[in-house]
Amino acid sequence: MELTNRETWTALHGMVLGSLFLLAFAGGLAGLWSLRAEWVTINGLHERMLRLKAGVTGMAIVAWVTVVTGTWIVYPWYRDPPPQGQADLENYPRAFLLADESLKGWHEFGMEWKEHIAWIAPILATAVAFIVLYYGNQLLVDSRLRYITIGLFILAFAAAGVAGLLGAFITKAAPIT
Amino acid sequence: MVTIRIRREGGTSVDEVAWHAEQLEIVEKPNGPAAAALLASGAGSLALGVLTVWNEASESVHDFLQLDTSVGPLSGKTLFAVLAYVIVWAILAPVMWRRSFSWAPILTLSAVLIAGGFVGTFPKFFQLFAPG
Repeated sequence: MELTNRETWTALHGMVLGSLFLLAFAGGLAGLWSLRAEWVTINGLHERMLRLKAGVTGMAIVAWVTVVTGTWIVYPWYRDPPPQGQADLENYPRAFLLADESLKGWHEFGMEWKEHIAWIAPILATAVAFIVLYYGNQLLVDSRLRYITIGLFILAFAAAGVAGLLGAFITKAAPIT
Repeated sequence: MVTIRIRREGGTSVDEVAWHAEQLEIVEKPNGPAAAALLASGAGSLALGVLTVWNEASESVHDFLQLDTSVGPLSGKTLFAVLAYVIVWAILAPVMWRRSFSWAPILTLSAVLIAGGFVGTFPKFFQLFAPG
């Protein structure tokens, strides 16, 4: 039982970093949603704000690391073209999917969507992290800014969620080994 | 003062936690920095959408965006989109830093920009621009 170098990177990209992002989202959303003056004490606010700042900053960093490792390390293995005349395409996921009429949608729709939309997640998550870090306690009383931040946060999650879900399905159809 | 009183079996009660009302001062900051971050994220998203469509529509743009052969045109699309994001933020942030703006136009523009990014990166949309 062992993982190849490619499988290790794929697992790091999808399962470790991707899962961290999704987990951080749940905590961050709960933190932002419940950040209301009537629900917190000052002591509670200090602890909560510190956790929220660490959470959203961590989420933005994880999002960047996820898309960079995905695009620059894992994706080249996915799109690696097979040598001329190669019949066994098992180690060439993109070619493997495109060669099968029943599977090619996973590349033409799934991968094409995943590889692009994923990059919107860190862009939006960074804006969220900046707003939380810069405005801090003001989010407690500025409900409009808090709702805008929550909206951005949900959009970042939606982008990452689409990419993550498609990544899981594509890996199931044509794993990188 | 708030007290949390725990009533235990047998009728005894214990005050476990008590705290006093405190005062918190918050110095309100203008919304310019948040607006700049929002608009910049919209610009970055839109740049990615536009580059994705343009890459599909033009062979020469496709070749230009292929900064790394193993990654393909995705290398150029993502690099230039991130550059657009950073540059727009670097320009807007100092201009908007100490100012407050009406949220309505900022939110409308940001929503349009971000929606452009989502639409432009949707395969059923950008594949419409593929030649022949």
